[in-house]
Amino acid sequence: MQLKNKFDAGEFAILAEIEPPKGVDVSPMIANAKRVKGMVDAFIIPEMSNAVMRMSSLGGAMILQAEGLETIMQVNCRDRNRIALQADLLAANGCGVNNVMAVTGEDPGIGDHHKARSVYDLDLLELLQVVGTLQNGKDMAGIELAGAPKFLVGSTVNLGAKGRSPEIEVNEMKKKIEAGAEFFITPPLFDLSVIDPFLKRINTEKIKIIPTVLLLKSLGMARYIAQNLDHVYIPDSLIERLRKTPDKVGECVKISCEMIHTLKNKGFSGVLVSTIGWEHKLPDILEKI
Amino acid sequence: MIVADKKPIEEIIDEIKEHERILILGCNECVTVCEAGGKKEVGVLASALRMYFLNEGKEVKVDEKTLERQCDHEYLEEIRSMIDQYDAVVSLACGVGVQFTAEKYHSMPVYPGVNTCFMVVTEERGLWTERCQGCGECILARTGAICPVSRCAKRVLNGPCGGSTDGKCEINKEIDCAWQLIVDRLKALDRLDDYEKISPLKDWSTDRAGGPRKVIREDVQQ
Repeated sequence: MQLKNKFDAGEFAILAEIEPPKGVDVSPMIANAKRVKGMVDAFIIPEMSNAVMRMSSLGGAMILQAEGLETIMQVNCRDRNRIALQADLLAANGCGVNNVMAVTGEDPGIGDHHKARSVYDLDLLELLQVVGTLQNGKDMAGIELAGAPKFLVGSTVNLGAKGRSPEIEVNEMKKKIEAGAEFFITPPLFDLSVIDPFLKRINTEKIKIIPTVLLLKSLGMARYIAQNLDHVYIPDSLIERLRKTPDKVGECVKISCEMIHTLKNKGFSGVLVSTIGWEHKLPDILEKI
Repeated sequence: MIVADKKPIEEIIDEIKEHERILILGCNECVTVCEAGGKKEVGVLASALRMYFLNEGKEVKVDEKTLERQCDHEYLEEIRSMIDQYDAVVSLACGVGVQFTAEKYHSMPVYPGVNTCFMVVTEERGLWTERCQGCGECILARTGAICPVSRCAKRVLNGPCGGSTDGKCEINKEIDCAWQLIVDRLKALDRLDDYEKISPLKDWSTDRAGGPRKVIREDVQQ
């Protein structure tokens, strides 16, 4: 319950993303998480992000919980119907996972199983409400549960995406709060000015916004994101900074550290550090916070 | 064809009660055959609505029009000269027609008057049964022209499942087991060897994965 306590105390929470393996060798995942034990309040375990098949979030979360690490399990609408989603939520809480994050899930067309049939039995708002229903001691059929789960519930907010109106984003976030979301993870941020129009419309002291700080791995990655990902803005100045430096990786780590400090000083509720495959770099970033 | 079912009139009234000039727009294709949204049903709905508004003491204009189709530009153009007389349209076409009407007349509220169901055959008058879900990759050649995607409750491609009893589905004893039908049909065709083969994994990307689908025929476009 470290994360909830941090939120309740109004302290800056540190989250880190740990991808479960594509396979059953969980030792690197455990080693990477343990390396930053004590520096991270909770680990977000993605549920097959980008529709790439790998060990489930539930499995990954249970493995880390068994190591004494707090996790946030992701549930997505893409792969499971309402029966399976409820079952997984009960399983997770029964196994000690107290934090859950609901996401829509990307279309299988972009993943590595593009012939898959997606489910989307529930949408994100419905899924958030279902978490609430379970917490109230009943399932979606209205049948009483033998013990209700208790979760800290999170979701996503698409801040800084190109062409998204801040009004619509605020509206969507309010609906998610109404449906039960207590904290929100943003897409990777490299320049806070892009979310200013949004921040002006909400009270960040009341709403827990957790920006994602993505560790860039190279100049090429930065350029690719800048050119191809509509929901992530990387300013030219940052790309130029990476171009000029001889130690690209060291500079990328430095950029992440600076961003985390900025977010902390700005009064955000916390940060999610995403290293997508470079979890071994987490200590380099977190030790400097 | 596509089958649709009439919406309860209370639901339609609830959607349109604030409007004063309403066009009930029928379609002369599938919804006429299934007697949910053709000229006759347009007349019945319009009369019922007039009666409702009269009883409510409201002066509401309710007009009727039935187009050849609502899924083609050329027929929807027929109402362009008259559309400004109305402040709402109730389309009795399938969901395709409702949407295409709304796309064509962007500032006009368009409400559905039927619930669009699925692709069917007319087994007998008043009885339509599902035959196709438009999965985009037809496997009927392998299954004796009986579709397990639309006719098996579990969409099992290597059936039957354990719930098949005496040729009936576990969902409902009145529903034929699609795989029993397939086996019977393959037997009649002397092709039971085909049944022995394991069906390859189905590519659902032609179904709904990847979002709304389209068919582009350049040979027809030219």
